[in-house]
Amino acid sequence: MEGIMAIWQRDVIKFFRDRARLVGSFAMPFMFLILFGSGMSGAMSSMMGGSEASGPLADFDFVEFMFPGIIGMTVFTTAIFSALSVVQDKEFGYMREILVSPMSRVSIAIGKVLGGSTVALFQGLMMLIFVPFIGISISFSMILQLIPVMFLVAFALSSIGLLIATSLKTSQGFQMVVQVLIFPMLFLSGALFPLSGMPAWMNFIVKINPLTYSVDMFKKIILQPEQMAPALREAMGLNLSVFNHVITLPEEILVVGLLSVFFVILATIRFSRIEA
Amino acid sequence: MTNIVEVKGLKKSYKEFEAVKGVDLTIEEGEIFGFLGPNGAGKSTTINMMSTIIRPSSGTAMINGYDVVKQKNDVRASIGLIFQEQTLDVKLTANENLMLHCKFYGIDKNKREERIQEVLEIVDLTDKRSNIVETFSGGMKRRLEIARGLLHYPKVLFLDEPTVGLDPQTRNHIWEYILKLKEKAGITIFLTTHYMDEAEICDRVAVMDHGELIALDTPEALKNNVGGDIIEISTEDNIEAKKRIEKIYETDVTESDNKTLTFQVSKGSEFLVNFVKEFDIPITSVNLRRPTLNDVFLHLTGREIRDETLSKKDLAKQQMRGRH
Repeated sequence: MEGIMAIWQRDVIKFFRDRARLVGSFAMPFMFLILFGSGMSGAMSSMMGGSEASGPLADFDFVEFMFPGIIGMTVFTTAIFSALSVVQDKEFGYMREILVSPMSRVSIAIGKVLGGSTVALFQGLMMLIFVPFIGISISFSMILQLIPVMFLVAFALSSIGLLIATSLKTSQGFQMVVQVLIFPMLFLSGALFPLSGMPAWMNFIVKINPLTYSVDMFKKIILQPEQMAPALREAMGLNLSVFNHVITLPEEILVVGLLSVFFVILATIRFSRIEA
Repeated sequence: MTNIVEVKGLKKSYKEFEAVKGVDLTIEEGEIFGFLGPNGAGKSTTINMMSTIIRPSSGTAMINGYDVVKQKNDVRASIGLIFQEQTLDVKLTANENLMLHCKFYGIDKNKREERIQEVLEIVDLTDKRSNIVETFSGGMKRRLEIARGLLHYPKVLFLDEPTVGLDPQTRNHIWEYILKLKEKAGITIFLTTHYMDEAEICDRVAVMDHGELIALDTPEALKNNVGGDIIEISTEDNIEAKKRIEKIYETDVTESDNKTLTFQVSKGSEFLVNFVKEFDIPITSVNLRRPTLNDVFLHLTGREIRDETLSKKDLAKQQMRGRH
């Protein structure tokens, strides 16, 4: 147990010590939200019926729509890239110090996943700094809901990261693989544009993409779709459904939870097999 | 005296290649045991098997009474390891590195502070305790690693090429610390090296070549086995001189760097007087000395350790260390 905490603590200490990384972590979300989001919002609203659009669609605000997706993006990428430290530890030798200690491999793997999840949770929460600038309001109870959901999503993605990291030897290789994996998943998760009117094959990928459900959880908590007009909700692609069943937040928690368990077990098994 | 290390028929093969071809040795508690041999002789592979890092293909090794295959975690708790390559977290402070180690090894919470102070004192790093390791010199990092390896009071400390890549002055310092350790902590030290002079401080030395132990004794006894003194000469015609010496004095002559001829005789100083008078090829330089462990290796294998070129892997390792 103490071993898990030690591994976790090391990742957290290093996260807060690396100022450049802390500041830099705002760059990508900022660009997406402000540059991409603001730039696209005009085009988006004209697609929704032009500036003269009346009724519920006039309320469509692209930046607002993107915000939960950007939180999602931050959490996903931070969590999955946290496993880069495993590859770097292999490259720079520290992994041997860890592996020759009497700690069990399972504790090490769990400690790493928890460390990555915690760091990703912090990064996700830091994104709430953008809230005042994009004109949405977030209540304290929303934040209380967001924390466990973010942690759950981060846990799943950290486990996937660890699974990849155990099979790779170089950081370049790891970054390559993760980027190739994460970008399509991100684009087809509804994080960056509404998931409506897509071709069937794409729709299929969206539905089997775990990030879709993760992003949708953030949207359900932040955007409060049940208070929206049905037409607007539809336009924003918030009626995520599988086999004509509109999926609910508890169901999504269950799906992501099960995936977390699956991947963390798989990653732990793989990690237990590596030699120092 | 009890045997803290017992190794029997330890082997490791990778497909066709036999890296270690059956090693037998026992080490008594409190001994400094040196493992000597050129790069690629199988020293690291042996040390890795003894420290549970790689699984032996066959044979057994018992450390502190625990089997390295069946009781890995007990063995791990009984040993300290200092690797060839650096294994510190350079982004953390010395204290954080040591504290993490305490946690990894489950050292009692209220003993940690005391132990950290103690090991830092041994390696003279007390005043650098809160500094980030990145700012340390190569020698300081090595000392910190030695300190870390001692934190959990290991029964056996394994040092794999502890001074590779360090300048001579730092090397001397590291050896002072290692000797101090033996006196203070009384722990058993198992080290590998390919520097002959370093092996001289060991209580016993095992010489390894091509995956086999070819000799195992005290450095003194090994040197005595070489037989007598070492004469080194260079002449104007080394090829001819070599032939003549071998013929007249019936001794093996080896040539190094195309300049020096080396051979052994029983009574060096008396021999030299007559030799210089009698030998008819002009001699340009002559030197008489006591045998070193380098001569032991030469005597046993017909090669000099320093002739071995570094393998690619070793070069990569040294570069890695240089980067930190």
